[in-house]
Amino acid sequence: MRTLKMLAFMLSSLLFGEHAIAQADFLAGIPRNEVLIAENPEGRITNSTWFNIWVVNHGSNSNGLQQLGLDTLWYIDADAGIDGVWDNSLASEKPIYNADFTEMTVKLRDGIFWSDGVEFTADDVVYTVETQMKDPTMVWGPAFQASVDTVTAPDPKTVLFKLKRPNSRFHAIFTVRWNAAWIMPKHIFEKQPDPTKFNFNPPVTLGPYTLKSFDPNGEWYIWQRRDDWKRTTLARFGEPGPKYVAYIDPGPPDKRVIMQLNHELDIIHDTTPEGMFTLAKQSPSSHGWFKGFPYAHPDPTLPAVILNNEVEMFKNRDVRWALALLIDMKAVSLASYRGAATISAIAVPPTGLYPKYYFDPLEDWLKNFEIDTGKSKYKPYDPTVAQQIADSLRPSMGERIPKDPKEIATAFGRGWWKPNPEVATELLERAGFKKEGNRWLKPDGTPFSITLLVEGDQRPVMTRAGTMIAQQWRQFGIDAKTQAYPSDFFPRVASGDFEAAMAWSVETWGGHPDLSFFLDSWHSEFLKPAGERQPPRNWQRYSNPELDKIIEQIRAIGFDDPKGVELGQEFIKLAVREMPMIPLMSYNVFTVMDTTYWTGFPSAETDPYTDPVPNWANTKYMMVKLKPAQPK
Amino acid sequence: MKEWPRASLLGAEIEFASMRTYARYFLRRLGQFVFVVFVGINIVFFVTHATPVDPVEQAISSATQFGHSDPRAVEIMRKALRELYGLDGTILQQYVRFWTRLATGDFGPSLSAFPTPVSVLIRQSLPWTVGLLFTSTLIAWGVGNSLGGLAGYYRKNRLLKAVGIAATGLQPIPSYIMSLVVLILFGYIWPILPISGGFQMNVSPDLSIPFVSSVIMHSILPVLSLVLITIGAWFVGMRSLVSNIVTEDYVVYAELAGVNRRRILTSYIMRNALTPQLTGLALSLGAIFNGAIITEFVFGYPGLGTLLVRGVNSGDYSLVLGIASISIVAVATAVFVIDLLYPLLDPRVKVE
Repeated sequence: MRTLKMLAFMLSSLLFGEHAIAQADFLAGIPRNEVLIAENPEGRITNSTWFNIWVVNHGSNSNGLQQLGLDTLWYIDADAGIDGVWDNSLASEKPIYNADFTEMTVKLRDGIFWSDGVEFTADDVVYTVETQMKDPTMVWGPAFQASVDTVTAPDPKTVLFKLKRPNSRFHAIFTVRWNAAWIMPKHIFEKQPDPTKFNFNPPVTLGPYTLKSFDPNGEWYIWQRRDDWKRTTLARFGEPGPKYVAYIDPGPPDKRVIMQLNHELDIIHDTTPEGMFTLAKQSPSSHGWFKGFPYAHPDPTLPAVILNNEVEMFKNRDVRWALALLIDMKAVSLASYRGAATISAIAVPPTGLYPKYYFDPLEDWLKNFEIDTGKSKYKPYDPTVAQQIADSLRPSMGERIPKDPKEIATAFGRGWWKPNPEVATELLERAGFKKEGNRWLKPDGTPFSITLLVEGDQRPVMTRAGTMIAQQWRQFGIDAKTQAYPSDFFPRVASGDFEAAMAWSVETWGGHPDLSFFLDSWHSEFLKPAGERQPPRNWQRYSNPELDKIIEQIRAIGFDDPKGVELGQEFIKLAVREMPMIPLMSYNVFTVMDTTYWTGFPSAETDPYTDPVPNWANTKYMMVKLKPAQPK
Repeated sequence: MKEWPRASLLGAEIEFASMRTYARYFLRRLGQFVFVVFVGINIVFFVTHATPVDPVEQAISSATQFGHSDPRAVEIMRKALRELYGLDGTILQQYVRFWTRLATGDFGPSLSAFPTPVSVLIRQSLPWTVGLLFTSTLIAWGVGNSLGGLAGYYRKNRLLKAVGIAATGLQPIPSYIMSLVVLILFGYIWPILPISGGFQMNVSPDLSIPFVSSVIMHSILPVLSLVLITIGAWFVGMRSLVSNIVTEDYVVYAELAGVNRRRILTSYIMRNALTPQLTGLALSLGAIFNGAIITEFVFGYPGLGTLLVRGVNSGDYSLVLGIASISIVAVATAVFVIDLLYPLLDPRVKVE
């Protein structure tokens, strides 16, 4: 018994002792108040020792390398930006095109150095392009092959691209939205016999941090601020606050919440709505993008019901509109995001600066938009849907739900389509569909059935939204069901092997109104016949001469031409009339920031200077805004 | 000429005959072993190649998911990657290539971590999985069987009854829930143990005291959660076996003859009950090469389980084949060894 007691004492001493050590020295040898700890949403990195981001299947896009260690010519922020949405990063000014967009000249900054002390020059840019053009297995190789004829450096600070065909958006390859073509260190890679077989470990960086240490098993990566951070492009905005930044794999959503409650995870990349609500309730130091509901950051991506327009039944616009009018958006919002959704009736996400460019100007047009079924006329837009969602949440969420209509519009979105089974019936009947008993039949007499693809456990929020929509269609008499494809969802959608899917084909810059980022790929010249793989992003396989004309007009004007917004609005009106896919909401990411060790995180209300989601390459701007919350 | 004594000659003949019989038994079992491994690996080859997940499409999807992508560029990349990954050719040609490589112990490059060889990835994860599951399996087996044996013999003991209720109560709890409960208890409510990773961040992974002690501390909660859900099966199995054996005549006679109870338990009962449990242990140890997917996932433990899941999700046949092949060989080897040892351990089992 005495021995047992002694053992128990020793064990508890050991455990408490470790606890004491763990609190003081969470990362061995690094004081906790000097390190920012962020979630790497990719989890454990299989190819952990690879930092050659220019080859497909390199280590990781979310381990800090592209966020802190690399740089490229330009950045566009998804939100307001640290100094406006556009930042000339390695370039000293915006891209300079010739009149017919067949040449692009880039002027580079002076005084920027790689972490090993070698100066960055135009030769690095030329090397980056030429090396990848030679090998289409490299990430940006095919894009360069498709566009670039020659690339030269007339002087050490100028790069001249001659393009194979007019391309007014060629600079987009070097412009960060989430990522972009990163510049390679010529002096390192040129010594390698085969750049695709080189793991680039340790990486020589151009960004403000270098790699300090990492787990060979891919669970964590620690980055250290460069002593010469003043010789990086970020120095224009001040000194990066955290001396160290750790990107870690914190495990499943429940564990991320526990780690933040323990103050061991400063930025959760994403968690479940329930996890977010728990943190909002239990952790006074935890904050989302919005101070109250919906907390989440609306990413400039638009989850939608993607209808495969090559499937016979969806070729008819009346059928597509009928399906939209059978969706009750309030129920979808509650089922998917538990109400924390930012809804959108139109084909752009209600995020960043898009309310200003597209939502405000089109609100009246939407209110007056009319559907003519042949039997009746109907104005489907209900501008109060977001307000109704907010009102329905207020009894249970109280003060966390905003009351100001402007705040509600920013947080919850604006209007959506009023469900109307009668109008849907008229539209379907005009399309030749018939109702027999409780079920609808297609014009050929077979049951009107729809299989809606979802990702299952891989994306539970969208799966819940899909389940709700299928249920609403079923209630109307359509034989609708969801089918989960957790592993091969996107390849299946790309191959056109689906009827409908919960996915997104609209991704925008967020901060900049130009829609070519996704819209250019919607041109019919890229449309593949059924059975062949469709390149990103026209997953709905929709084509329309009117749409082609809009895209061609956008191609003919400059990136910042104000006419771009007008053309964007024309596209949105066309998409409303045609309903090629049914827009639902922005992709809300429950990024949660803990202010116990760091302050100065971006927020919708006080300082929306960048997207807080820590695997976006814009995260580097967050570093200069973060300040220690505790004395050193 | 010296004559061998008749008795010795007979003994040698019997011994020789018995050895010859055992050799025949060994060869037959060896043949079965090779057959099982061959068939098992073939099944895995064809199943993995029948998956709808295409590694090239997964790679393209991940390379173009968020960034700028030119539709023309995607076509170029698809063609280039298909050639690079060696996915051209018929399934038969790929099958021949696979066995040719496997003959030299090479599983080829991983398709999701190209061009890193599969063997490198497995070598990185294997020690963690073996360490975690070997320890937890041995602890669960040792403790479960000991307590089960005692509970079967001392059937009226209240403490052992309570242990039985607890062990059988824990057994059906899903592994995710058990891991999470352990994590909340010792990582949040009473935060005394690390809850993430295989070792402390920023510690160099070498054979130093800080690294080794960090590995031990980080393994306590994953081991505990695994032990808690597996101990019940061993406990119940052993208790049933012992409950049957205690009614055997030789045990009753031993008790009547006044043999010490401890000796009866250890030498008369437990030893006989252990044989089937040893088979179970061997199979469990063989199966550790599958990894403990859920426990590894929850605790961020860098084992084979999470590697396997990554391989399946990304359509990385090479990686899945590599891990599955090792697992098949390990389980088959365990069965083979047990088959060979059985006749030696238990005289009631005859080789013929």
